[in-house]
Amino acid sequence: MRIIIRGARLLDPNQALDCVADVLVRNGVIEIIGNLTDTPFDGHVDTQVNAKGMILSPSFVDLNTCLRDLNQIQKGTIASETLAAASAGFTHLCPSPDTQPCSDSGSVISLIKSKAEAAGFCDLLPVAALTKDLKGAALSNMESLSRAGCIGFSNAGFDISDNNVLLRCYEYAATFGLKVLVQAQDEKLGSGHMHAGPTATRMGLDGIPIIAETLSISRHLQLMQHTGVEGHFNQLTSAQGVALIRQAKAQGIKVTADVGIAHLCFTDSAIKGYRSQYHVQPPLREELDREALVAGIKDGTIDAICSAHQPHESAAKCAPFAATESGMAVYDMLVPLIQTLVDAGELNWMHAIVALSSNSASIAKNEITGLTVGKRANLTLIDPNHSWTLDEASQLSHGTNQALANQTLKARVKLTLKQGQISYAL
Amino acid sequence: MSDSSNLQLTEHGELRHFLTPEGLDRLMLERILDTADSFVVVGNQEIKKVPLLRGRTVVNLFFENSTRTRSTFELAAKRLSADVLTLDIKTSATSKGESLLDTLQNLRAMHSDMFVVRHSDSGAAHFIAEQVTPNVAIINAGDGRHAHPTQAMLDMLTIRRHKGRFEPLSVAIVGDISHSRVARDQIHALKTLGCKDIRLVGPNTLMPQGIENMGVTTHSNMDSGISGADVIIMLRLQTERMASAFLPSAGEYFRLYGLTTARLSQAKPDAIVMHPGPINRGIEIESAVADGPQSMILNQVGYGIALRMAVMSMAMSGQMQQRQTQASKSSSLIGEKKI
Repeated sequence: MRIIIRGARLLDPNQALDCVADVLVRNGVIEIIGNLTDTPFDGHVDTQVNAKGMILSPSFVDLNTCLRDLNQIQKGTIASETLAAASAGFTHLCPSPDTQPCSDSGSVISLIKSKAEAAGFCDLLPVAALTKDLKGAALSNMESLSRAGCIGFSNAGFDISDNNVLLRCYEYAATFGLKVLVQAQDEKLGSGHMHAGPTATRMGLDGIPIIAETLSISRHLQLMQHTGVEGHFNQLTSAQGVALIRQAKAQGIKVTADVGIAHLCFTDSAIKGYRSQYHVQPPLREELDREALVAGIKDGTIDAICSAHQPHESAAKCAPFAATESGMAVYDMLVPLIQTLVDAGELNWMHAIVALSSNSASIAKNEITGLTVGKRANLTLIDPNHSWTLDEASQLSHGTNQALANQTLKARVKLTLKQGQISYAL
Repeated sequence: MSDSSNLQLTEHGELRHFLTPEGLDRLMLERILDTADSFVVVGNQEIKKVPLLRGRTVVNLFFENSTRTRSTFELAAKRLSADVLTLDIKTSATSKGESLLDTLQNLRAMHSDMFVVRHSDSGAAHFIAEQVTPNVAIINAGDGRHAHPTQAMLDMLTIRRHKGRFEPLSVAIVGDISHSRVARDQIHALKTLGCKDIRLVGPNTLMPQGIENMGVTTHSNMDSGISGADVIIMLRLQTERMASAFLPSAGEYFRLYGLTTARLSQAKPDAIVMHPGPINRGIEIESAVADGPQSMILNQVGYGIALRMAVMSMAMSGQMQQRQTQASKSSSLIGEKKI
């Protein structure tokens, strides 16, 4: 089995690689990187891509996603959503533990992993529940779950209000060198439906103030520092939140953070007219916050970009705004959204690949093989100039909550290779 | 929100839904007030009916309780000669698990022409007009804390009938701005009609974040807030605000923000006092003020019927016009296909 990708721009942050070259993958392994016209080879070629003007990078790792299986298959299945993820360039996904039933047992973890394996599009690196049934009361079997393949522990969107329980969780995780992931939002202050600001005031919707995030970040940071546990913050939303992480890193606290692609690209003003497709948790904030999140990616305060993909059936979004379910189906538009940031001069593709690939792989403790001769090929090939329309025919996620439905988008993944096999090809 | 204004108007710029004054221009708001003025007379006639909505079906859909608003809408529809059906949805279908969407689609199938909707979720009327039944005229009778446009417009009618032009007026809105669906619409309407000095008065716990962006000033001191005002609009204070830690007690609230005769003297001598009702005597307002010569509270109730008749007749007319436009468009399309 031979795959040749000719003339792509190769971007690999691990090696500070940025050059134009051909790549030959044979039997799943990168055999040649260079000029293939000068380096003749024998034999049959199975797939050949003329990738002039395209970007080839190590494949992407998603630190936060909801695949909906097991009991919410009206929203999406592991097969449908991992295919959509592969079409966005991902080969490895860290599903959030708020599955139904919740990911607090080895049997649930092995079931979702085996479903993904059967589908064959992405490998799962699950995040397990920090507390049993995500109730915030009793510790989950963290060490056993870690042996079952979980890369970290989180209470998803359910705040643990009892500091005693949270302290014990972190002490226990630290004992075994396990990572905790936090979606920082105070439960009571976070009971609204969108960012608390002028737009929420005008629309008469209950707001979630920024202090709901910053109070929670401060509390978790202190407990992380106290226990020495390795911590990661999922889905930062505010400029003040970014500043707290920057300060913590400067103090030497072992902490990393990610941001959802929606928060890098949209603000609360998108909700005007009660557009429920933009109803997400944590909420979209204001332009100054969005700019601070982009700056956080550029200066490395924010390590990674996650999808925070949450597919829904149409009924979930068809109600008065507050009664709709939060979440956005992201995979089908992720690469075009990155391209809008690149076109606007806010990020370049190297920033994006650091955040989607090398940093997220390192946080997920996944060995990224990258663009290295002799290694298994986990690669993503993107055509940044491909113009297409996101509609029912082109979308792969089962989620009907596509914020950019029926819009013409620019940039698309052409090819994704997982362990040397084609997991997605346009 | 431009979306709201587009949604509320026909292709020819006529009113077809009435969801909020936001996005409607001054001419439209003045037309509503002029039409309402003409209906004020109907209430004084021996036979209080006009045949504008004869043969039309108006359904009052009240997803939350409101005796006063519901009865004025019912009366307004009856005075316009409509067939009126009032549904108390709280004890009806949705409590049996039927979704809002299904309930409305069933009612549309009964060939209703207008829904008057009261719902506890902000944006509910907007959602219905946009996504559920765009060909049924929707009148928003209050959605969450977003809007209560007929109340706001009857307040504008009261101000115009008693004060004339809006430009020179200083208007103070006092109380629970944060939870008030009326305050937001009053601000939109006052600004569109030319009022330049709008003051919001209340403690920080009842003042929503970023409200200044709507072009108002905020005041935590009642005396300075109402000083020299031409119009004082008192908002109703729900008693649950004390239990949910917005305020310590009704007594302290009255001492700091209650409208008393002494306090009223800070305003202009001919200032008018308004309240959407029902009033809490001794909490927001002293009885001597509520029943005094400057109080417009009972006038507001009477104007409320006229104002509701105005928007119902205008929206019904716009909706009929829109249906005709759509029908003629689809028949011309059929004609094109035949050729």
